[in-house]
Amino acid sequence: MYDVIVIGSGPGGYVAAIRCAQLGMKTALVEKYSTLGGTCLNVGCIPSKALLDSSEHYHNASHTFTTHGIELKDLKVNLGQMINRKNEVVKQNTDGIQFLMKKNKIDVHQGLGSFVNNTTVKVTKEDGSSSEIQGKNIIIATGSKPSSLPFIKLDKDRVITSTEALNLKEIPKHLVVIGGGVIGLELGSVYARLGAKVSVVEFMDSIIPTMDRTMGKELQKSLKKIGFEFYLKHKVTSVENKGKEVTVKADNGKGEIVEISGDYVLVSIGRRPYTDGLNAEAAGVKITERGQIEVNDHLQTNVPNIYAIGDVVKGAMLAHKAEEEGVFVAETLAGQKPHINYNLIPGVVYTWPEVASVGYTEEQLKEKGIKYKAGKFPFMASGRARASMDTDGLVKVLADAETDEILGVHMIGPRTADMIAEAVVAMEYRASAEDISRMSHAHPTYTEAFKEACLAATDNRALHV
Amino acid sequence: MSKEMRVPTVGESISEVTVGQWFKKDGDLVQLDEVLCELESDKATFEFPSEASGILRIKAQEGDTVEIGGLICLIEEATEASSSAPSSQPSTPSAVKPAASGEVKDMIVPTVGESITEVTLANWIKKDGDFVTLDEIIAEVDSDKATFELPAEATGILRHVAKEGDVLEIGGMICKIEVTDAAPVAEAPASSAAPASQASSSSANYASGHASPAASKILAEKGIAPTSVAGSGKDGRITKEDAMSAQKPTPVAQATPAADPKVAEAAPVVPGSRNVRREKMSSLRKTVSRRLVAVKNETAMLTTFNEVNMKPIMDLRSKYKDQFKEKHGVGLGFMSFFTKAVCVALQEWPAVNAMIDGNEIVYNDFCDISIAVSAPKGLVVPVVRNAEAMSFDQIEKEIVRLAGKARDNKLSIEEMTGGTFTITNGGVFGSMMSTPIINAPQSAILGMHNIVERPMAVNGEVKILPMMYVALSYDHRIIDGRESVSFLVRVKQLLEDPTRLLFGV
Repeated sequence: MYDVIVIGSGPGGYVAAIRCAQLGMKTALVEKYSTLGGTCLNVGCIPSKALLDSSEHYHNASHTFTTHGIELKDLKVNLGQMINRKNEVVKQNTDGIQFLMKKNKIDVHQGLGSFVNNTTVKVTKEDGSSSEIQGKNIIIATGSKPSSLPFIKLDKDRVITSTEALNLKEIPKHLVVIGGGVIGLELGSVYARLGAKVSVVEFMDSIIPTMDRTMGKELQKSLKKIGFEFYLKHKVTSVENKGKEVTVKADNGKGEIVEISGDYVLVSIGRRPYTDGLNAEAAGVKITERGQIEVNDHLQTNVPNIYAIGDVVKGAMLAHKAEEEGVFVAETLAGQKPHINYNLIPGVVYTWPEVASVGYTEEQLKEKGIKYKAGKFPFMASGRARASMDTDGLVKVLADAETDEILGVHMIGPRTADMIAEAVVAMEYRASAEDISRMSHAHPTYTEAFKEACLAATDNRALHV
Repeated sequence: MSKEMRVPTVGESISEVTVGQWFKKDGDLVQLDEVLCELESDKATFEFPSEASGILRIKAQEGDTVEIGGLICLIEEATEASSSAPSSQPSTPSAVKPAASGEVKDMIVPTVGESITEVTLANWIKKDGDFVTLDEIIAEVDSDKATFELPAEATGILRHVAKEGDVLEIGGMICKIEVTDAAPVAEAPASSAAPASQASSSSANYASGHASPAASKILAEKGIAPTSVAGSGKDGRITKEDAMSAQKPTPVAQATPAADPKVAEAAPVVPGSRNVRREKMSSLRKTVSRRLVAVKNETAMLTTFNEVNMKPIMDLRSKYKDQFKEKHGVGLGFMSFFTKAVCVALQEWPAVNAMIDGNEIVYNDFCDISIAVSAPKGLVVPVVRNAEAMSFDQIEKEIVRLAGKARDNKLSIEEMTGGTFTITNGGVFGSMMSTPIINAPQSAILGMHNIVERPMAVNGEVKILPMMYVALSYDHRIIDGRESVSFLVRVKQLLEDPTRLLFGV
């Protein structure tokens, strides 16, 4: 009898398992696939970041090295090697998780986990053999899968999802991306940098529509420079695989049908909670119409000893959100009272420039009727950015008009994915824009741009613009 | 301007009070004389009425201990608030402040208590020339009773007038504040619009009382609301250390029983709660405990016993109780007999009614009898004054009145000070024999006990009679054995034959 069984070994699941083990609970981890780490490590964050970095190096080598005074001859891409390196990174990471499980004395059960009742989980191996394990508490961390549109047939050959896009055998000549969200833009970036033409078809009127509007506009400008074209407010009506070519038809909102043909179509319109084969009904766990597992504020399902975390429950589908939830549930089970501030979970897009944000967007503040002031600082004015030739983008700080409390920070630019952490710390402590303005930031760094934006928000007294 | 409301002088020996329940919320519109909150002193709980009509700005939170003269709250004039901000939005100091700089605010020593005529400037917290904001603490002032803090009465540049160590009379000039516009920092104090702001401490800021992530987890586990913790971080933020040292203010229901697999497996289930509760001692109980120990240490206390045949009183009571009730509207209890008997005996043995004051003995030619009453917040001893001159019904009525007020925590300090002798009745709870502790500075206390049937020898015969042990604890320093024993014998005589009370024999 385990104290806790965690189903799913993604960043939510394995982190929950480690924290449970740290707190002295006898813990089991059930994973359907042969490698641990879930979407993030196997077919998500890590492999895409590996390819993003590789392709960025190539892009820099082919576009900016000359300016830097570095001349290269016969520059070319070895996509096979690039994919191999990516696979190697993935392997190192998943092996790392395996090691962590051993270190924390967590039993890993490989096979599809499904409920028999609210304390029993059946683990079915690929060869059909199965065993049953029992736990006092069970954490569902089964994550999500790419979702699609009903009329799109994902043949995984020409009409692909993010999973296949990470393992292409050739660089597409023209990649059509359906969906202007994070995944489509990141993977689109990889192939655009390697020379593909990338067309993004998005239903909404801006890319990365859930983020602050300024970020979408700025990112669009930057991506256009590397060969993106955008079809915003276009509703995809059909996707047709014609062998070597795929045709996407979209309604442009004016009653006209636009036809875009490419050699690959990446469908990245979002992800759906994944509970296939979980047999949650056997335990009596309620699943909503949208496929999510219903949980209360303690991430507890309607069955008291069963919890759910990560992509399978409400909230942003982010690895670090799942991690926080994993820790949250483990500590809750240990009788502690942890907290998660969902408003302060940062969101990141690993394009170049990177986009990162935390807190309220300008649109949300307007909607809530909160009086705010905005301070912006462009990377064009940053010494470090100019030295590195990374002058695209800006930092925008939104602060309460009266108290000066920072309410939202939105960044697009070099290394903003890392810089956003400073904003999270500031906001967790409810810092005012002036507080940040009065803290020393090393020079020359990108983070100075955050300080300058805070100065701009404080009293419109940025120093370097 | 806003009206500062400070802790009034409530009694000679009281130097601090604890803020009890607030009846009004921060920002509420209050009327003159409306009761704002309860203040608890070690002697009594009293109500704190508003000294003006306006908007309440709470400065001392429930549970805070505030010295006499300490700031409890501000009342912002409603007219001012409504004229500068017609909506419910509170006016910011910049709106209240005289805009023109050049104006100078003179700050004088405020009246801190009735008997205090001068104070000493202990130290300046703000330097000469510092920029100070309204209500910021700028100096500490010592009086012979207490130290209190002096808040700035305006925002501006501070100019010292008095020096540290100066003795100043009430009304004397302490400093001047050159009124200026807003501070160089643009930060405005929290307004009601600030999101999730719950702060209301003296230097309130939108982030005051905000717990850091680690602190908030610790507080949740302790079951302490962040609002009850004074943050030591920047602008009153609650740090991890603050949370670790925070004490639970009041008992809270048991923590939600979360499944703890470790515990569940380690030990077999023991039935019954193992819950431990910690409660802050009330000021009253703290004082009682301190005084009881002090009395034991500082007096030469001993106790003498006697027994009283209660049959005569009981017979009299049953004979006259209905008529008594009808005539006077109050029941005829034992207390009136005891009080009368004690008064007669006290007048015969004045040392028992006396007290030591330094090298002198103070004799009282009157009998103010303290009656020990068990009140919800602890033992209180209201006084029946000039009991020697009172009739039975007057005594009974007075005791009923005082006991009622004690139950409701409504006794005033006045009603509890100045007794010369105490009667305590442990018998109502069933005590058979006890050695009561003197109620200082008095010198003696009479303990009544329960009435039990006992075989007693009466004229050479064994009779079963209702009997009560009585005890007299006394300070042997001024009461000799002859006086104490004789006093108690006299009380016994008067109780066993109440007609003696009539004839004074």
